[in-house]
Amino acid sequence: MKKTQIIATFVAAAIGTTLIGAGSVFADGTFRTLDEIKESGTINIGVFSDKSPFGYVDENGDYQGYDVYLAERLGEDLGVEINYVSTEAASRIEYLQTGKVDIILANFTVTPERAEEVDFALPYMNVALGVVSPDDAVVESLDDLGEEDQVIVISGTTAETYLVKNYPDIHLQKYDAYAEAKTALENGNAAAWANDNTEVIAFAIENEGFTVGIPSLGSADTIAPAVTKGNESLLDWLNEEIVALGEEQFFHADYEATLLDTYGADYEDTLVVEGGAVAAAETETE
Amino acid sequence: MEKEVILQYLPMYREALLLTLKIGWQGVFLAFIFGLLCALVRHMKIPVLRGVVTGYIELFRNTPLLVQLFFLYFALPKIGIRLSPEFCGSLGLGLLGGAYMAETFRSGLESVAPIQEESALSLGMTPLQAFRHVILPQAFTASVAGIVANVIFLLKETSVFSVISLMDLMFTAKDLIGMYAKTMECLTLLVVFYLIMLLPVSLLGSVLERRLRHAEFGT
Repeated sequence: MKKTQIIATFVAAAIGTTLIGAGSVFADGTFRTLDEIKESGTINIGVFSDKSPFGYVDENGDYQGYDVYLAERLGEDLGVEINYVSTEAASRIEYLQTGKVDIILANFTVTPERAEEVDFALPYMNVALGVVSPDDAVVESLDDLGEEDQVIVISGTTAETYLVKNYPDIHLQKYDAYAEAKTALENGNAAAWANDNTEVIAFAIENEGFTVGIPSLGSADTIAPAVTKGNESLLDWLNEEIVALGEEQFFHADYEATLLDTYGADYEDTLVVEGGAVAAAETETE
Repeated sequence: MEKEVILQYLPMYREALLLTLKIGWQGVFLAFIFGLLCALVRHMKIPVLRGVVTGYIELFRNTPLLVQLFFLYFALPKIGIRLSPEFCGSLGLGLLGGAYMAETFRSGLESVAPIQEESALSLGMTPLQAFRHVILPQAFTASVAGIVANVIFLLKETSVFSVISLMDLMFTAKDLIGMYAKTMECLTLLVVFYLIMLLPVSLLGSVLERRLRHAEFGT
């Protein structure tokens, strides 16, 4: 081997590691304050584009859903234009930490691990985990799963973290997007799909041949908007806004506009959190 | 950067590296076979098959691997053909790589002077013998640089495997970031593991190229 090649190899390795070292300089805490957002006239909000009925793109190419309904109102009350940024579950924290978005409104479940990385505002929805499976082999308990059975999860969701922690023996089939996970379940690539129960209930309602065998799993959690760690001006404004919206029963209106068609009236009081106040019975966590 | 975090993630990356290597090399092997067959068909100017081969090469060279994997994994089950993610990964890489390898072999074959084949035939070799013993060794030598480039390209293409739920290096890093948000550590390990996988290939490539050079003739 020629000397130049050996040197080149080391240079490649050195550049690789140096770049990463330099990366840490930009990694933390780039955000825009409330005033900067107002001044620029545009707010960047991260939402899902494939998670119906919470955040999705409709046939006209417009963002719709429960999260988007709130985003629209936030934009209106701030008096700025909204630039929607489509996110995947696993990149939500990154988008905030790198300042690519000002707020994440992508059905983001509040967890202690995530709260170390981002700041959560007051919650606007309740959630637990659920498991949906085909009618001909309904999974009613995760203990019933055979050794060969795989469970679909979406990378970066609370369902994934929960199963990794509590059921380490279950073989997980991971996808990064909702669209792919759903197609995989429809194609029969796995025994079941574990995700937020809202999502699996919606899936079973919209797709014939599937049943939610486990409607509630793990702890009762909440969903809240998130901002970059330390962005206090924006966080304070969001909290005031959510409390104020509670006085006009905004989130009930949101439910009726976006979720009623999917879930019917029965789930309204279970799902909606009004004014950031979670009912006492639902705050139990593990 | 936290050392404990890196140590904790190492086994997962190691597993991902093994899976990436396994499927990557299966794909490279298939690509080699497909490419050689295609180059042979084109070189021998076999009617009908030649058209099929050209169609295959153009189709796979001009569509992204992502689309090919989507098709193999999500569309085929709709018509009753169910393939495992590993098989889809290997086959997808093999089909994509085959199209590239075919082109590389072809340029190698074209670099062998026609007089070589004519001389071999006039010595009484059959066309197949001439191909195997005279043309192919020289064509292969001329193609080595291209082949190595293709191998590296194919191994890097494994980074889109997340769409078919394969825990390759890229997806493992993304997945860990999504769960535990240790971005710096995860990305550092990612770069290091890709280098571990690919540096030996490029070094081996340059050694091979020099070793084989003495098979060259008339240049």
